[in-house]
Amino acid sequence: MLQSKALVLSLVASVFLVTPVFAAETLKVGVQAPITGAYANEGQGIDQSVRLLAEQINAKGGVMGRQIEVISCDDEGTAMKAAICAKDLVNKGVSMVIGSYTSTCAEAAQTTYFRAGVLQTSDGTSDTLTEHGYWTFFRNSFPNSAEATFAADYMVKVKKYQRIAILSDFSSYADGLATAVADSVKGLGGNIVSREKVKAGSQNFTPVLTQIKSKNPDVIFYAGYYSDGGLIRSQQKGLGITADFIGGDANDNVDFLKLAGNAAAGTYIINVPSPEILPYDLAKDFLKAYKAKYNMMPPSIWTILNVDGMRAFIHAMETNKSFDTKKAADYLHTLKDYPGITGPISFAPDGNRVGSGYMAYEIQQDGSYKIVHK
Amino acid sequence: MDIFLQQLVNGLTIGSMFALIALGYTMVYGVMKLINFAHGDLVAGSAFVGLFVFTQLLGGQVSVLVVVGVFILTIITIALLGFTIERLAYRPLRSAPRLSAVVSALGASMVIQNGIMLLWGPQMHIFPELLPTIIWDIGGVVVSLIQVLIMALSMILMVGLYLFVEKTKIGTAIRASAIDQDAARLMGINVNNIIVTIFLIGSSLGAVGGLFIGLYYRGITFNMGWQYGLYAFVAAIIGGIGNIPGAMLGGILLGLFNAFIAGYISSTWADAFTFILLIVILIVRPTGILGERVAEKV
Repeated sequence: MLQSKALVLSLVASVFLVTPVFAAETLKVGVQAPITGAYANEGQGIDQSVRLLAEQINAKGGVMGRQIEVISCDDEGTAMKAAICAKDLVNKGVSMVIGSYTSTCAEAAQTTYFRAGVLQTSDGTSDTLTEHGYWTFFRNSFPNSAEATFAADYMVKVKKYQRIAILSDFSSYADGLATAVADSVKGLGGNIVSREKVKAGSQNFTPVLTQIKSKNPDVIFYAGYYSDGGLIRSQQKGLGITADFIGGDANDNVDFLKLAGNAAAGTYIINVPSPEILPYDLAKDFLKAYKAKYNMMPPSIWTILNVDGMRAFIHAMETNKSFDTKKAADYLHTLKDYPGITGPISFAPDGNRVGSGYMAYEIQQDGSYKIVHK
Repeated sequence: MDIFLQQLVNGLTIGSMFALIALGYTMVYGVMKLINFAHGDLVAGSAFVGLFVFTQLLGGQVSVLVVVGVFILTIITIALLGFTIERLAYRPLRSAPRLSAVVSALGASMVIQNGIMLLWGPQMHIFPELLPTIIWDIGGVVVSLIQVLIMALSMILMVGLYLFVEKTKIGTAIRASAIDQDAARLMGINVNNIIVTIFLIGSSLGAVGGLFIGLYYRGITFNMGWQYGLYAFVAAIIGGIGNIPGAMLGGILLGLFNAFIAGYISSTWADAFTFILLIVILIVRPTGILGERVAEKV
């Protein structure tokens, strides 16, 4: 009897002793990413790298004494789930959200974060993301318009293609990029022979490719995601279409190589530098830590760009010595050259990341990238 | 003209896959008047099992023998899975109202889909290139080895199934059970065995369809069964659900229709037109193209 009383007492005591630790205030960081679905490896990359960064910061004592608590929400790459995630993360009291991977999902969640005063950073490249005037939104990559200028210049001036076919899916990112590239190509006097759209995830692209083949292009520029791009490239070869293939930034993913298989070699991809070739020490350290923790490399540069967004947010809070998101945003809007994993971070007043470092890569027989133009 | 022929080849390839999968729906519906929603997920499961068999069991080295082995082992696994579903999800509900069986079918679909996700994870998996990329250019029309294989093997399987159902004793029993289960029972046919047989055959054909999807499209996701299941289901309805040659015809027609709409109008509209076609067929010919007029018992 005495023993059981002691047990009860000790249990009660332990509850009281433990509770204060749980109640300590944390800095809640939301992750909104496509952890399942077609873009799952990108979503998991974002989630894993945010957790890694949080772990690193927590080990050093957290942010101004507060430990970071990561709360993830899977938006499955769909706008509908993204809107639900936004509400969910806001209700859970996050002060910043990292993600999402796709522009469509970032855009679907934007308004909710803006109304709740929650900072959001996404790698989405769709120009419309920064056109709403939301002070809460910061793009950690570079917008489509910058990529379009580079791509058009590469196709028209450098490669001197005479007949350009442009293909995209319907997403806000892909359609926006394709339209911007088409405009830039026309601006340079280039000749567009085909502008087609495909449904993402539909797998059978042979009818559209046959249609494109009849226009006899010497290059196909694909704006869209790797999960379709790899297949399009593979089916292009299967149909005997000899045109070059240039993939927009979202084709930069290890799965593109696997899906395209034998057809991957000789493909061009336009993107900012991939993680492996980033020259900065910060990048080398982070990639090493990522490899050590997850036993793989991040799926693409997008993962790292999102981490940089989060690092900038935390830097702003620490500089202000305040967790106030409005103050942090005000600081970030004038941020200049904060050292980032992906290079110096500067934001424009509209939340765009300043700068552009696009390059054209050619995929080699062994699957490695060779820089062919920058 | 060569563009037209090329679209014809494209359409026939995808149509053959639809037809193979549609057979599974139509055979089950023919005998049990049940829409087996789990069929599409069995197809997806087949691609994953095929991938597992190739990389884990057969060592991941491509050879003719290995490819044949992948097909055989996968077909057996999926057929057994189809058999299990019938035992656990449908047989206990044989005498229950039809709606219960449909709900059970939806449940089975969820179980398989989530089972694949738990076993293999939510991300896209990539099917290895089991066949060399060989293409033939015949007067501007390009045909690849894999397309020829898909069309030829589908044709052989479909003709084989047709002959099996029309010419053998078991086939006759299947047809009898489809017309009237009670009467078939009175004639000494073991309807339960017939149902097991159609599940085994339907799942096996679906397994071949799933492997084709893996071989041809290479990117496989745990939830892709829904998309292919839907197309195959539409194909089965277009041809006349419950009718075996109808499912074959429906699949091929749907593939061609899709290719021509995507090729000549716009791929944007391919899906919309597919479902408009479905609605038109249901209005003009509710029983489908080859569907039999069913005399309603009063």
